[in-house]
Amino acid sequence: MANVELRNLTKVWDQVTAVDGINLEIRDGEFLAVLGPSGCGKSTTLFMLAGVYLPSGGDILFDGARVNDVEARSRNVGIVFQSYALYPNMNVLQNIMFPLRFQETRDAAAQAREMAELVQVGELLERRPSQLSGGQQQRVALARALVKQPNLLLLDEPLSNLDATLRLTMRAEIRRITRELAVTTILVTHDQLEATTMADRVVCMNVGRIEQTGTAEDLYLRPDTLFVAGFIGSPPINLIRLQASQRAVLDVPDTAETVGIRPELLHSAETGLPVTVTTVEPMGRETLVTADSDLGPLRFLEATSRPKWSAGDKLHVSFRSQDTIVFDGAGQRMSDLHAAIG
Amino acid sequence: MAVAKTQADWELLARRSRRDRRIKQGLLIAFLTLVTIPVVVPFFWIFVISISARTGGVESEVLWRACAILVPTVFAYGAAHTVFRRARQRIYAAVILVLLAVVGLAFSVGDDLHLYNYRFMVNPNLVEELRGAATAGGQFPWVWVAFVNSLFVAATSMALKVTVATLAGYYLSRFAFRGRSQFLQGLLILEVFHPWMLTIPIFLVIFWIGLLNTLAGPILVLTAIDLPFFIFIMKGFFDAVPWDIEMSAMTDGASRRQAFRMVVLPQVRGGIIAIAVLGFIKGWEEYVFVTALRTGNSYWVMSTYLYYVAEDVMGVDYGVVAAVSVIYIIPSLLLYLFCQKFLTQLTLGGVKG
Ligand SMILES: Nc1ncnc2c1ncn2[C@@H]1O[C@H](COP(=O)(O)OP(=O)(O)O)[C@@H](O)[C@H]1O
Ligand SMILES: [Mg+2]
Repeated sequence: MANVELRNLTKVWDQVTAVDGINLEIRDGEFLAVLGPSGCGKSTTLFMLAGVYLPSGGDILFDGARVNDVEARSRNVGIVFQSYALYPNMNVLQNIMFPLRFQETRDAAAQAREMAELVQVGELLERRPSQLSGGQQQRVALARALVKQPNLLLLDEPLSNLDATLRLTMRAEIRRITRELAVTTILVTHDQLEATTMADRVVCMNVGRIEQTGTAEDLYLRPDTLFVAGFIGSPPINLIRLQASQRAVLDVPDTAETVGIRPELLHSAETGLPVTVTTVEPMGRETLVTADSDLGPLRFLEATSRPKWSAGDKLHVSFRSQDTIVFDGAGQRMSDLHAAIG
Repeated sequence: MAVAKTQADWELLARRSRRDRRIKQGLLIAFLTLVTIPVVVPFFWIFVISISARTGGVESEVLWRACAILVPTVFAYGAAHTVFRRARQRIYAAVILVLLAVVGLAFSVGDDLHLYNYRFMVNPNLVEELRGAATAGGQFPWVWVAFVNSLFVAATSMALKVTVATLAGYYLSRFAFRGRSQFLQGLLILEVFHPWMLTIPIFLVIFWIGLLNTLAGPILVLTAIDLPFFIFIMKGFFDAVPWDIEMSAMTDGASRRQAFRMVVLPQVRGGIIAIAVLGFIKGWEEYVFVTALRTGNSYWVMSTYLYYVAEDVMGVDYGVVAAVSVIYIIPSLLLYLFCQKFLTQLTLGGVKG
């Protein structure tokens, strides 16, 4: 429905720069996730897209036209707030119909009912928001955002107030509905699973800047920066700061500062780096082992549900050189360079 | 065997806690009734005097006889309420007791009751009738003139207070502007000064702008006096309405004004009703400024009417004074009873700062 472009978008509050020169293009019909820790400027970016906040600098373009000065109510953007922001003085049907009151719509009630069916709240139309569960409120908020057939759908951490099972269902539901309506969608989240499972493309943000844009696989296997490497992945990646003692063990280029290796790419072996096991945590299908080594503490995953090791055991671990990621002093990945046990 | 023993214990405990609860409830009702008596008796007394006193003297004998019937009735109902647990039983008990009380009152005081003290409501020339037109000079109005004036003062100042306090409260809650915190502090500081201290400057200001001896004077002054506190209350209510809802309305296509009217305003309804009631009652009861801002008898309101009935024109006829008081109280009382719910919300929602 719309192609959205952000050029050098900036938002400065009194003291803090919440968004710091963002460049981004979202294709028509794409599902984009914006991923980042709390306070990194995700919501601020969304609210600028919706027209609620005025940008301090830069441009927002819808289909190539600059919309910075277009009021929120004329942008035709649907938004689902983290708190859902349902109108407590109206029932579900009135909530869903609310956006249609500002348009020339002849069969508003019928459209609202249809949308309510789509998000499966058709039986709750007479209820007040306070009489709904979290998941139901979420669905109503989604219906209200979609009923005016927006150019752009914005979701601000829509699942963060739901319990784990409901989150799983709603993830699939939201994906189904946005596909069905083919609406361009931006999902903001601090949950990497949410971002990677739902989105076509993921943008990773940190302190107001975009760290990396790419597919979930790009971000996981080829993180551009130290921040992305550390933020994505659970259990988190092993990051080894290279000092003299580490350089003695590892064979790495001199310009490298940090080496990263994912826990599942480390494994116990006959030969390799000698380590001493410190803790063993069964995690269901796998076991997470933490061990001390000359490189510092290392985490690795054993693909067994029953732990093979216990604290104090001495063993060797090894990894393939091409599985390592090497970062320079500025925290940028040095592509095509790797580390090996030397 | 162990199971049976536990069950017996549970039943004993349940019976004991039921009994305790009933005793506690009974004591509570008795206590509340006792502390209510000093509050209710003066009103009741005024009412009884207004329908029983004859010109000249005032006797409280009727009051005591009425109390001798009513107090046992109240306690009897308290006991019935504690003993009976079904709503239907309680209603029957109440109906029977009320009937008994009515019959008792009819026999004990029925002959002493009359409505003669209320003649001021239908007789425009109360004073002339008593003393002859020459004495009062035709200045003393019919009660309904004062009643309508009071209504006008109360309603107009209420409308002004509610409108200004709501808009100002919203602006203070939502917009950042230079001097906002100083403004808020200023509002609180104004509460420190009692408005009566300002009577003379206010008189001069009203005189200079030419509103002396008009109802507009007290209306404006009363509005100004209540505004700081009311603005503060409304700001508290608006602070409790989340930003999200307003932003959501604006992305849904509403203008800021529409968002305010359709989404925000309904959520501060409790606050608006509360300040409307308080503001109305303030205007209805006002005596100091309606007296201070007139020279002579240019306008009459209920409070000045009551004052002159009691002190000035008539000599003292307590029966008439009591009857005027009853008529004067009724509007405030009704308003209070109907809006009680919102006034109690005030303490919850409003004092958040
Ligand atoms: N209305 C505001 N006034 C001042 N600072 C704000 C405002 N909204 C957000 N911020 C600041 O901007 C930064 C980014 O906030 P936000 O976009 O809400 O983060 P996120 O949604 O990623 O958790 C935070 O440091 C926050 O304190
Ligand atoms: Mg946020």
